[in-house]
Amino acid sequence: MNSILWIELVVGIIVSFTLLGIFIWGVKQGQFDDGKKMMNGLLNDSTEDLQDAVKKDEKVKDLREKKREKLQKKD
Amino acid sequence: MSLIACSHCHLEFDESLMINEPENKNLHFCCNGCQGVYHLLKDDGLDSFYEKVGKNKLAKPLAVGSDSSNFDMESFTTRYIKKTDEGFSRVDLIIEGIHCAACIWLNEKVLDQTAGIVEVNINFTNNKAKIIWDEDVIKLSQIIDKIRSIGYNAYPYDRTESEKKATKNKKDFFLRMSIAIFASMNIMMIDVAKYTGYFTGIDDEMLRIIHMAEFIFATPVLFYSGWIFFRGAYYGLKNKIINMDFLVSFGATLSYIYSLYVLFGGAGDSYFDSVAMIITFVLVGKYLEVLGKKSAVDTMDKIKSQIPLEATIIKNGGKKVVSLDEIKVDDIIEVKTGEKASVDGEVVSGFSSFDESSISGESLPVSKTTGDKIYSGTINTQAVIRYKAVKNYANSTLNNIVELLEDSLNSKPKIEDTTNEISKYFSIIILTLSLATFIAWYLYVGGFENSLIVAISVIIIACPCALALATPIASLIGISWLSQEGLLFKEAKFLETFAKIDAIVFDKTGTLTTGKLTVKKVPLSLTKKELNILYSLADSSTHPVSVAIKNYLEECFENLDIITLEEIEQLPSMGLQARYNNNVIFGGRLENNVEYQTTIYHFTINDKLLATFELEDKLREDAKSTVEYFKKQNIKTILCSGDNEQAVSSVAKEVGVDHYNAKMSPIAKADYIQSLKDSKKSVVMVGDGINDSLALSRANISIAMGNGADISIAISDIVILNDKLEGIKKSHYISQRTFKFIKQNLMISTVYNVLTIPIAMAGYIIPLVAALSMSLSSLLVVGNSLRIKNRKIDE
Repeated sequence: MNSILWIELVVGIIVSFTLLGIFIWGVKQGQFDDGKKMMNGLLNDSTEDLQDAVKKDEKVKDLREKKREKLQKKD
Repeated sequence: MSLIACSHCHLEFDESLMINEPENKNLHFCCNGCQGVYHLLKDDGLDSFYEKVGKNKLAKPLAVGSDSSNFDMESFTTRYIKKTDEGFSRVDLIIEGIHCAACIWLNEKVLDQTAGIVEVNINFTNNKAKIIWDEDVIKLSQIIDKIRSIGYNAYPYDRTESEKKATKNKKDFFLRMSIAIFASMNIMMIDVAKYTGYFTGIDDEMLRIIHMAEFIFATPVLFYSGWIFFRGAYYGLKNKIINMDFLVSFGATLSYIYSLYVLFGGAGDSYFDSVAMIITFVLVGKYLEVLGKKSAVDTMDKIKSQIPLEATIIKNGGKKVVSLDEIKVDDIIEVKTGEKASVDGEVVSGFSSFDESSISGESLPVSKTTGDKIYSGTINTQAVIRYKAVKNYANSTLNNIVELLEDSLNSKPKIEDTTNEISKYFSIIILTLSLATFIAWYLYVGGFENSLIVAISVIIIACPCALALATPIASLIGISWLSQEGLLFKEAKFLETFAKIDAIVFDKTGTLTTGKLTVKKVPLSLTKKELNILYSLADSSTHPVSVAIKNYLEECFENLDIITLEEIEQLPSMGLQARYNNNVIFGGRLENNVEYQTTIYHFTINDKLLATFELEDKLREDAKSTVEYFKKQNIKTILCSGDNEQAVSSVAKEVGVDHYNAKMSPIAKADYIQSLKDSKKSVVMVGDGINDSLALSRANISIAMGNGADISIAISDIVILNDKLEGIKKSHYISQRTFKFIKQNLMISTVYNVLTIPIAMAGYIIPLVAALSMSLSSLLVVGNSLRIKNRKIDE
């Protein structure tokens, strides 16, 4: 009985510290810098917003590539 | 008359005033701005914005007249635009008009959809935005135009070192606090099993598992989250001060060591839970202080972003745009309508009116002609004017105010904190008692280990839980009561300072008075035609006096018509002149009538005086009763204003303040507050305008009226959201009542310690007693605090 509890303790602590690790990563990334925005994040949680996010990523990727090419040409 | 909501901003207006659309009868707009933004969003497929806004009311779209091309100027680029490692451009802006999360969403979405923009991040808390874009694709002025097209506006600001430091510090505290809360919550859950076990029975092995789990969670709390207390205690000891940090770190470390001893072999109960709780509770309080400091930095950035970037100087017959630092004394500067004067000077040519509300607080524009003084930061409201610089930018009024404000925000007056004072003595007493217990046990009972455990138990039982809770719980209840009454206290510790004030300083315009000109009732014997002429003349100007006359006529008469007047002309220092069917119409103040002390408006046709209006800035209904309340409480009431002696003395007499000062500049107001503080008085300043901001920042407690200038609201400690003076009275009453309960709570925790410490010193504290008594003391404090709201304000 007690050995099961020891195992549960170890597993529980590993899981909770992993979650904590993810949270720390989020904080360091700046995801929690803006308290008010974070609390309202749910508003931007639609499929449409996700699609926009993908489009935006593609746009930025494109801009970065063009800029790199331009800088390389200059060199 | 029925009110309906605007389809864009959701503000409610009378149905007859709304702009309706024939194609869609469900759409109603309060202005063209709202209508424009609504259709723009719809066309861009961004109408889901309205779902996100919900029932929130927005501000009306900002109508920005100024040209955005100055964002592409070289002086702007050098100062505000930085290059990223990838070769893109970056600017930091403050977005004006942000109202809710949907506003952030909309701005980010519109900019994200714009070609050439790499990254947009708008912070909701401080409305600051970081924008990265590719200059080869889009110009900054185009980005600004995009923001303006949806009804918002943007100003640049310099991201200073102090902001970077404050942001880093906030993030560091947030992480430490989050880890402490996470671990404490886990420990609390484990504690349920532990304390249930005390009553139902628990075997030693099970207890060891529980202690081990608590040990794993409490360790990062003590050494990572609690690190700042060790640091604080170290610096305190270095300066020979035993502070709250010392008590917290010392108590927590001892409890931790004792619990380690219990975990690895010793008998008894561990106190890992207490370790985590103490650190977490006190850390949350510290985090709120850090947030306060960060918001002071944000406020300064907002103020600095209002400073004009450059000025037009006249040199060798031509115009040249220069940055403010390049302006020299004797340079001739041109200020166009709507622009701000950049340095102090004297008018050399032209006639115009200047909005000097940032200096005097008065909303009436002041006429300026050759030889008159111009103050930096004041706004030209009428016509192009040229003036000679008499000071450079560094010595000008605006820069002086900004620098003084920065100094006072960085060194806010020390807030009284009874808990901190008590904890200083508390720490010394507890440590002495613990040491005495150890010596007594070692000498008279014997055994090093036994004596040490009893000595440690004295510190643990005196755990400052109830002491740490005494203030926050009562404050929390006080603050929530205040917010229900529409009174916003930015930090809980202002309750104590406000409860103990000696003097209250009021501003006049907009604080004790409504700040809006109204016409005193006068008998009018004008024909319908004359009334329409007067109405049309008043309608042709946005000057506050004309607006007041127009409002008065609308109030008293029905079916007024606008007549087309010709040759409408503004006469220097007088008023408006126009022509109608070869008749000369005049509305304003006739020069020869100087005996009037209030604002006077004469209406003449062909020099024949037809009507005289007297305008006044009315006292607020509750001004007198508020002043009376503070006088009854033996608090000195003072009126300080930038207005003339006559106007200030008449208001002072009417409301019955103890003392008044007239013609005060923003710096003079601030110096006056300082002199009161120097004479050992705790001072509250109540104001609303930009001209009050310096005085507000100097006072022990500053209160802003809800409809005041953004800057004064940002600087203030308390904001009266419903804009009623009565709010100040209520705030003071609730602060006093809350403070009374804080004192009671401190007394309860002291009594608890007086009763339990002797038991601990005698060695009678068993784990169950310790656990129960700790909870009991906290419960007593919480229960007592709940009584704060038992009495109604009117009683």
